[in-house]
Amino acid sequence: METNSAWIIIHRMRTPLLVIILTFSISILGLTLIPGQDDQGNPYYMTFFDAFYFVSYMATTIGFGEAPYTFTYPQRLWVSFCIYLTVIGWFYGIGNIVALIQDKKLARELGIARFRSKVRKLSEPFIIVLGYNNVTKEIIQRLSLEGIRTVVVDKDEEKIEEIELENFIPEVPAISADTTKPQTLKLAGIHQKNCQAVVVLFEDDIKNAKIALMCKLLNKKINIIVKSTTKENTEHLRNIGIRHIENPFKIISDRLYFEITAPYIWLLEVWVFGHILKIRKKEFLPKGKYIICGAGRMGRALAEGLERAGIEYVFIDIKSSEYKKMKQSAIYGDAEDIKTLLNAGIKEAACIIAATKDDMINLTILSTAKKLNPNIYTIARENSVEDLSIFKSARIDKVYILEKILADYTYNFIAKPLTNRFIKLIHKKDNRWAMGLVGKLSATIGKNPLLFEITLTPKEAYALANALKEGIEINLEVLRRSRANYKQHNKILFLLYHDEEETILLPPDSLKVKYGASLLVACDEEAKEDFEYVINNYYELHYVLYGEEATVGIWKKCKLLG
Amino acid sequence: MNIQKVISGFFFILAMTTNFGFFYGDPANLDYHSKYELFAAIIVNLIATILKLGDKTQLGSVLLATSLVADIQLIGAATVWAFAVYGLGGLNLEATVAVISMSGGALLANIVSVLLFIGDTLKSKR
Repeated sequence: METNSAWIIIHRMRTPLLVIILTFSISILGLTLIPGQDDQGNPYYMTFFDAFYFVSYMATTIGFGEAPYTFTYPQRLWVSFCIYLTVIGWFYGIGNIVALIQDKKLARELGIARFRSKVRKLSEPFIIVLGYNNVTKEIIQRLSLEGIRTVVVDKDEEKIEEIELENFIPEVPAISADTTKPQTLKLAGIHQKNCQAVVVLFEDDIKNAKIALMCKLLNKKINIIVKSTTKENTEHLRNIGIRHIENPFKIISDRLYFEITAPYIWLLEVWVFGHILKIRKKEFLPKGKYIICGAGRMGRALAEGLERAGIEYVFIDIKSSEYKKMKQSAIYGDAEDIKTLLNAGIKEAACIIAATKDDMINLTILSTAKKLNPNIYTIARENSVEDLSIFKSARIDKVYILEKILADYTYNFIAKPLTNRFIKLIHKKDNRWAMGLVGKLSATIGKNPLLFEITLTPKEAYALANALKEGIEINLEVLRRSRANYKQHNKILFLLYHDEEETILLPPDSLKVKYGASLLVACDEEAKEDFEYVINNYYELHYVLYGEEATVGIWKKCKLLG
Repeated sequence: MNIQKVISGFFFILAMTTNFGFFYGDPANLDYHSKYELFAAIIVNLIATILKLGDKTQLGSVLLATSLVADIQLIGAATVWAFAVYGLGGLNLEATVAVISMSGGALLANIVSVLLFIGDTLKSKR
């Protein structure tokens, strides 16, 4: 049976209904059996209809008076008994209905039914997000802008209420349920054809792995984005065939490594996520001794990055929770702490990284360090996106926000697959190559190039895709031509070409594009508009291809229109 | 012995027997049919219906359906009777036959219901 809610109602209403029927029937039967007197004084017996009519309005306390004739005393005796009998029965029934409306179990079942129908009605591609927090909130917001719908499941009822208050547009169906259960995933629509991915980013690695495995078993085709912070767990996940495993600590470690050894690769990576295409002076990391405060997962990941980069470092082991318990404060920097910092060599260190789990401690570590060594470069780990302003005003040179990084990568994986590929490929290049690319980008487009992806199908590139289907050969150079004058080129650069057979980083102009291939394009605002015109409009495409206006009608010169 | 089975069995069969009691006799003459028996049949049938509510099995659904049929037919019979007496100013032959034949229809539904109930009981191993 589909709806448990209907069954709950039926079950709960059985006794009240029985009580009402019994009390009614007793009263009615009694009334028909007791002799009365009509207005002429003749004896009469109430018919069943009379009795039913009278009891109906008596029991519901409407009370129109005695009908059809004034009652005799024996009748009144019986009626006074019936009043209490039926009214009690009636109130019991109503009381039960009211209790039923407030019933938690029923409300929950109704909620599930509503959620299920909402998920079924989703016609666009959607992803399932397990757990609602700052990271997933940002992912949901950005995916909504891309037209990708999301469904949220969280164990916590309050989080779900938060989503409802958030008023996402389009609506995000959400329900509170145990995310580790297969029924929950089925309810969230994991079997639906338009379900594209499941996002599992819980703190607990084991829980993540368990859910990922379950998703894989429920739907083999689905993409699973799962967070894993340890090597063993990652390996285990890889073995069960999960391709996209996110380790925020590994990402940070890589970033630090590239920042030190290949700043231009780092620049390209952060540019993809919205940084401008230029390294500010204060963004160059110093080379020298590093101090890492906090030796947790984050601290160790950073140390790994430094080690790969060949940088000397020391740890100061600060555990935020223990520190707070011991000192009864979240402010770092008493005499003892200063001594620790001095012992670690703060005076001659080039950089200090505060990587504990507590934002307040991180901030105070860095301000203490700055007092001891005003020239030191400061890096902070920020744990939650919410108090961004404090970090901004604290004049810290660099802030790592784990949540933001996780959100960025997840979003890219779902909505921007080519960008994701691009990042992977540039990691294999060296700094000189990256510097060259940055130079080329800023020379052709400027400091703030737009980045977008396009797939050459009729949906996104109507004219171009159809022309390619017809067998017309078009290379990338043609796509760069200006709509105003085909001999000139727009400010446009193709960063990545990808089709079923090959992936080419910085494809050459002579490359002939194939139907269904996808492109990662960097350009400026105007070039984007031109480019979109050219690939979608037959006349524009014809012009940039042949340098002449397409004419239709009796001349039929437009080769593209056949 | 299961007390719930006794109670539900009692009402299912009582629903059929009271129904039969009303139905039995010359269909053209209401003197052979007691209105009290019709009343009893309606009440017992309603109770039987409620007892059948909430059973999620296939058999439970069919049992409930038969009961609902019986209810509708019996209440229909009572309505025709009341309408004939108060609306048309007396029972004519057509109304009388309609009342009795409707209760006959209800009786059929009740018989099916009891047969299903007995069949289920026979199949049960407990």
